[in-house]
Amino acid sequence: MTTAVIRPTQSIAGYTGPSRKMPFLVQVWMMSRRSLVTMFRDPAAIIPGLILGVFFLVIYEASLGGAAQFFLRGQSYLGFILPLSVISTALSGAGIAGQAVIRDIDSGYFDKLLLTPISRAALLLAPMIAAALVLVLQSSAVVVVGILLGLEPATGWLGVLTLLGYALLIGVALAGLIVGIALRTNSASATSGASFLFFPLTFLTATFTPKELLTGWLKVAAQWNPITYILEACRSLLNIGWEPQVLFTGLWVSLVVCVITFAFAYFSLRARTQRR
Amino acid sequence: MHNREIVVDNLVKRYGDFTAVGGVSFRVESGEVYGFLGPNGAGKSTTVSMLTTLSLPTTGTASVGGYDVRSHAYDVRRVAGVALQEIGLDPLMKSLELLSLQGRVFGMNYKESMRRAHQLLELVNLTEFTARPVGKYSGGMRRRLDLALALVHEPDVLFLDEPTTGLDPASRRDIWKEVARLNSELGITIFLTTQYLEEADQLANRIAIINQGVIAVEGKPTELKANMGGDAINLAFEDVSLVDKAISEVQDMVTRTQVDRDTLRLYLPNAAAAVPAVVTRLQAAHLHPISLTLTQPTLDDVFLKVTGQRFTTEEKEEKVA
Repeated sequence: MTTAVIRPTQSIAGYTGPSRKMPFLVQVWMMSRRSLVTMFRDPAAIIPGLILGVFFLVIYEASLGGAAQFFLRGQSYLGFILPLSVISTALSGAGIAGQAVIRDIDSGYFDKLLLTPISRAALLLAPMIAAALVLVLQSSAVVVVGILLGLEPATGWLGVLTLLGYALLIGVALAGLIVGIALRTNSASATSGASFLFFPLTFLTATFTPKELLTGWLKVAAQWNPITYILEACRSLLNIGWEPQVLFTGLWVSLVVCVITFAFAYFSLRARTQRR
Repeated sequence: MHNREIVVDNLVKRYGDFTAVGGVSFRVESGEVYGFLGPNGAGKSTTVSMLTTLSLPTTGTASVGGYDVRSHAYDVRRVAGVALQEIGLDPLMKSLELLSLQGRVFGMNYKESMRRAHQLLELVNLTEFTARPVGKYSGGMRRRLDLALALVHEPDVLFLDEPTTGLDPASRRDIWKEVARLNSELGITIFLTTQYLEEADQLANRIAIINQGVIAVEGKPTELKANMGGDAINLAFEDVSLVDKAISEVQDMVTRTQVDRDTLRLYLPNAAAAVPAVVTRLQAAHLHPISLTLTQPTLDDVFLKVTGQRFTTEEKEEKVA
């Protein structure tokens, strides 16, 4: 039995009523931090991605490492394949962002936030950024395992940091897509299903061999697949050295994809309001 | 003094062929408590969701605090506090985190938001439970925290969508007290939807009864009850068949009759004084009621009159659920 004693609410000194506006970046920061904190309170969602990334790295290296001597001309297959396991991890990381949005929709908290003057963009960017940061963490673990297996990054620690920067962008890009799907479907199963659907994208690219060795339709697919350019940038960081042209192409492509998927998430939210 | 009115003009919400809200119009004055009363599925929540910018009206206009819900949605969100029927709390977060984040979203700095959070926790009597994630709260605690969240920014207009559904009687009365206090001390306009007649009767200055998407009747509770045609004499008979016979006997004495199962309700201006005459007339016709009570009209009677159905059953079902 609850018997609350009701006391008067006093106004807070210094608070001039509902009129001040929080700068956009502060909003994004506050909401991202909240998303990140709650994601870590539900670690079951984070661990599979971590295991998956390391698993891919070890299994690809073990099964293809020997054969790769022929086409990599002395380059490390570990450095070649590690970016791929980062991208595989990014797919499950994006799933986390989608699940976070679904969780908020289910609990009603998403509506609670929509009822506040918070910027809709900040509301969407928060789970995307949080999931991308989780991906950076997972990717760091993959890199550590890679180094333990004998990886020697050609660009050193700075190169590894740059690689993690790409991971962040990939995370944001894929998360935008999944968040949009979550908002359109309102369904946890459709959202996790969608992240599996994007999994083949990691194979329609220069997955196991350099792009130059691809032929036929797969070559065309790889040329159109944005993942190809991000993979190439990361591989060059680990195996070759600082190649500005390759790195810029990778950066440019990932930024474009981020903008597109964010726009998709944003319009999905608008469509959702119109539908209700 | 802010504009704290709600002005609604012919608001319609359609989903395909289904009309959830079929053209409602009303005006809530600054500082008024307006009760929106109706059974499940009457269109109450849909109306709230349009007024609070969660969904867009199909046609019609509405403004909250002087701001149009379509063209000035941002300002509506700024001045409105909302506690929806579906409680909106992240189960993984804790009360202080939720309240402080809410304060910050409304423009407070961290210190202000924490001070406000502590104030509100005290207000809703949840101070002891700050260490527990909200997911482990009881229904009543969650409801109170949700209300606290709606109050963080001292809204001009407060929307409460069935704020006491699922609460025990003590918590319900606490919420009533708080709603009344917010209204009288801070002058907050309150738009309250409810399935509980007693709640509307207690709290609202004016009520509208909404049924199947349209407002069936609107007015002050006292006026609505007075319009029922005075007090009523309730007669119960052993057999339902006797009810019709009784009606024909006393028809000329009463302003209106109403039948509810085996009970006949007679509305007449001066019911108490008329009892002997009614009884004499019935006995002359060999009709012997097994019970006779005198009642003042209730909102339930008003509801029955305007919708043709009883409200009470709904209320009981809800209590079980």
